[in-house]
Amino acid sequence: MENTVIDVEFQNVSKYYGKEKVVDEVNFRINRGEIFVLIGPSGCGKTTTLKMINQLVPHSSGQIFVRGKNVTELDPVELRRSIGYVIQHIGLLPHLTIRDNVNFVLQLQRVPQKKQRERANELIKMIGLPDSYLDRYPHEISGGEQQRVGVARALAADPEILLMDEPFGAVDPLTREQLQNELLRLQKTIKKTMVFVTHDMQEAFKVGNRIGIMRRGQLVTMGTAMDIVNAKDDFVRAFIGREAVFSALDTIPVFQAIIRDCPVIHEGDAIDPADPRFKDWENVFVINQNGHCLGYVSLTDFKAHEKVTTEKLREITSPCLPSDSLKKAIGEMLWGKRAWLPVVTKEGNFEGIVSFQSCVSILALDD
Amino acid sequence: MEKDHLWMSTWKYLASKSDFWISTLLSHVMIVVWASLIVIVLGVVLGILITRIKPIRGVVLGVAGLFYTIPILALMGLFIPLMGIGLKPALIALSMKGILPVIRNTYAGINQVSPKFKEAAIGMGANRAQLLIRTELPLAFPVIFAGIRTAVVMNFSMATYAVFIGAGAMGTIILVGMRTFNDGMLLAGTLIVAIATILLDRILGWIEKRIQKRFAL
Ligand SMILES: Nc1ncnc2c1ncn2[C@@H]1O[C@H](COP(=O)(O)OP(=O)(O)OP(=O)(O)O)[C@@H](O)[C@H]1O
Ligand SMILES: [Mg+2]
Repeated sequence: MENTVIDVEFQNVSKYYGKEKVVDEVNFRINRGEIFVLIGPSGCGKTTTLKMINQLVPHSSGQIFVRGKNVTELDPVELRRSIGYVIQHIGLLPHLTIRDNVNFVLQLQRVPQKKQRERANELIKMIGLPDSYLDRYPHEISGGEQQRVGVARALAADPEILLMDEPFGAVDPLTREQLQNELLRLQKTIKKTMVFVTHDMQEAFKVGNRIGIMRRGQLVTMGTAMDIVNAKDDFVRAFIGREAVFSALDTIPVFQAIIRDCPVIHEGDAIDPADPRFKDWENVFVINQNGHCLGYVSLTDFKAHEKVTTEKLREITSPCLPSDSLKKAIGEMLWGKRAWLPVVTKEGNFEGIVSFQSCVSILALDD
Repeated sequence: MEKDHLWMSTWKYLASKSDFWISTLLSHVMIVVWASLIVIVLGVVLGILITRIKPIRGVVLGVAGLFYTIPILALMGLFIPLMGIGLKPALIALSMKGILPVIRNTYAGINQVSPKFKEAAIGMGANRAQLLIRTELPLAFPVIFAGIRTAVVMNFSMATYAVFIGAGAMGTIILVGMRTFNDGMLLAGTLIVAIATILLDRILGWIEKRIQKRFAL
């Protein structure tokens, strides 16, 4: 990663409620522009961890740094104004219109009226709702729309850091997926640092750059989707569950599973089926001087040392890009009833192949 | 025959003495307006204070409750030797009687504001004053208003006693009617107070409903 800045850092942070330790020696660093997901069973301390970042809940021990500053040395009101917060169960203020809800943070900071009006219009567009919604009250819009407004409200003051506590918790799966897609689309332009709490593993894999799994106040494991599906911990494996693995595949790019040492010959070369390079292989790929792939030939078509002719050259069908997801590649293989797919860059350069086998093996890297 | 006569004389009084009873009603209203203003301001402030300062809660509610239970005539009787007669002691007595519902409802109204809304406001960077003014008070408003309604309506009917402390108002018409055996005047005074009180209560009730609707979740 190019010059990473750490926006949020926890060092041995614990929280006690009375004698009960609800957050236990938690350590993590969240990079600028990253979506960090906190996930775990109900009551494991996700919300508490999140609230300690903006000091809605003061920590009992350890140190918390936000954009390099120790939070205990900051004015809590100023700290909270610099961080967007989407609370669990939305919490739109029922006595205020959508406009006033969205502008709430700006009003607290006494931003001029004109600016507030402009910002409200900008935000409502950003979350894809019509302008007319600004004059409605929260109970006059749907749950999914309320959740969007909750996100807009948190973005109003354009904070660098966004805390989101189950922002899409209270909607049906379809709307939820739509909201997730919108968030990811939005994140491409706003590039905020987000701490995102959820208890839905698929959501975690989908939106998270990195994921931290919590259990009884402890951060049990933390890493990318690939790290998480490779975790050895029984609790983590049980928590992820079988279905969520598919969502993980969605976030792992094909280039992680490319077999690069598959046999290649150049255009015009002859093939000797006895060549030791071809041992264990059925096909050989043919490339030109520019590295572009022309197709492949099946070794069974060659009896002896023989030139590659156009009749023998087979066309490469449905190649995948190195940046495609494993889910897409596996789907393509199943769909086309094939055990492998060629991987070709946008420019047409041959990179290797991806197969069921190679997908499975990267999910067990450290076995 | 007797009944007709009574209604007739009431009507006659209302028609012939309209200048007098209208101006008396206006002075009644003025007393109620002042007493209500005092009650609302003091009651809301005290109500807010006892949500923030626990130790004074019991004392404030206890004293206001005491005022509420003492008959207003007893209060006035207490004031005459201390302050003499007139508008001032009347206002004080009315305020003392009416303050409990406002304090109690302000306190209850703020306390029933869901923690999630308070947390949302604090989380977005509201300071203590902003939390109170922009979130707690507006969300408590329907409940506070219900307390204000009770206090104002009570003040309106209680203000009839102001006559006993020399502050006039509608009590004058009833009292004079009684003393001079003018049944028409007595009944007219009683009717005006009764109808005005009911009307006031209905109007405030209607407003209360509107407010509740507007704040519906
Ligand atoms: N104000 C509080 N006082 C005492 N205990 C609390 C308080 N807030 C939370 N807890 C306890 O701390 C633990 C962690 O709570 P937290 O809200 O962080 O859980 P969570 O992971 O967000 O759960 P959920 O998925 O249900 O939202 C729970 O056992 C909870 O009962
Ligand atoms: Mg929670």
